[in-house]
Amino acid sequence: MKNLFYRVATVTLLLALSGCGYNQFQSLDEESKASWSEVLNQYQRRADLVPNLVATVKGYVEHEEKVLTEVADARSKVGSMQVTPEVLNNPEAFAKFQAAQGQLTGALSRLMAVAENYPNLKADQGFRDLQAQLEGTENRVTVARNRYIETVKEYNVAVRSFPNNLTAMMFGYKTKPSFTVENEKEISAAPKVEFGDKK
Amino acid sequence: MKLHYKLLTLFATLFLASQIVFAELIAIPDLTSRITDLTHTLSPDQQNLLENKLQTFEQKKGSQIAVLIVPTTGQEDIAQYSIRVVEKWKLGREKVDDGVLVLVAKEDRKMRIEVGYGLEGVIPDIYAKRIISEAMAPKFKQGDFAGGINDGVDRLIGLVDGEALPAPISNESNGLGVMDILPILLFGGLITGLILRGMFGTFFGSALNGSLLGGLVWLLGVALGGAAIFGVVAFFITMLLGGRGINGYGGRNYPTSGGYDGGGWSSSDSSSSWSGGGGDFGGGGASGDW
Repeated sequence: MKNLFYRVATVTLLLALSGCGYNQFQSLDEESKASWSEVLNQYQRRADLVPNLVATVKGYVEHEEKVLTEVADARSKVGSMQVTPEVLNNPEAFAKFQAAQGQLTGALSRLMAVAENYPNLKADQGFRDLQAQLEGTENRVTVARNRYIETVKEYNVAVRSFPNNLTAMMFGYKTKPSFTVENEKEISAAPKVEFGDKK
Repeated sequence: MKLHYKLLTLFATLFLASQIVFAELIAIPDLTSRITDLTHTLSPDQQNLLENKLQTFEQKKGSQIAVLIVPTTGQEDIAQYSIRVVEKWKLGREKVDDGVLVLVAKEDRKMRIEVGYGLEGVIPDIYAKRIISEAMAPKFKQGDFAGGINDGVDRLIGLVDGEALPAPISNESNGLGVMDILPILLFGGLITGLILRGMFGTFFGSALNGSLLGGLVWLLGVALGGAAIFGVVAFFITMLLGGRGINGYGGRNYPTSGGYDGGGWSSSDSSSSWSGGGGDFGGGGASGDW
């Protein structure tokens, strides 16, 4: 008799857990973490490009210290940042991270705009390669960010809708921060880097 | 009367606004062949030539390359449009992610090579950029779109060809393993068992049937040991079959493996329908103009 009771209880609990969104949280949580790592990956890739880029540009330009230091500062700020998975559950740290990356985005696009004034630099094969890499990386960042925004949206909807929100409260699942629109604009302005060869 | 006009203006404005919203994103065409030319820039001959080249390459290497020519990408940057296209088309094989899209926005005078995850190593952004600026753009400038695309595709093929990707054949036979045709094998084995027993007697007929089936399974890609066990099991089952076998069936109407080998993959269908294999993209590649 007792045995039967346990069985029924187990089955009920399993059904309840799958019906209340708990399992959904698990998969969406993992998914958003994965897409977040992709964002970090691509930002890292961009940061890795900066030293080479700065060195190449330095060889050609004069009196452009301001832009160059700006890039270097933004780069070191991004590099000094400890990005742990906890950033995802801490909106403040997330905003900080976002601001630092946004600053680097802005500094890089200004650097590339400056480069426009130096025909010799533009003709340098090394610079052109770096430029292609930077363009590609910025594009990957955009794609990764968009995918992160999508998965987080799904996760947040799951966490906030009834009756899942009760489960979420019980197990401490909070909504995750996402990239804001202002920064989104800044990022989508970044492809200005893509000046290339104007007609 | 005044109100009437106001309402009319309001509706007109709303209507126009909704049109603008709809016009914002350019629709993505359905994927039906490797060359999708919405601008009718390429002649049918040129399309066929490219199509055949890409088809041959896919059969050889397994990697899917497609070309899309659109008039414009609208409000979107070509990279944004391009990633939407590949998210819908899913070029390249699943998990291998070896798809490439060559996108040309003719009126925008922009182009892009979108590279799947799996090929980002063989076609780094720098190479994609060079293919655009060295192979494609000069021909595009002269109005030779077919030539530019052809040269670009050739260089892409050259790069991908040097990469050790999983062979397309093994990928296909994975999709069609022994398990898929097991019912046919069992049924066919039963019939041949009866026939062979009728022809050669219970013991020899069963042994023959067992070794034939084992050999067939082995040919289909099962390891030798597994095939041997299968053959022995088939031998015993044939031995135990009721009745004395079907006598009088001459000839060899042994069901061969014809029909299961290789085919059945969408790509081997040249004209009718071709589809992406489920490859993923992460925004790799390069854009350019002419």
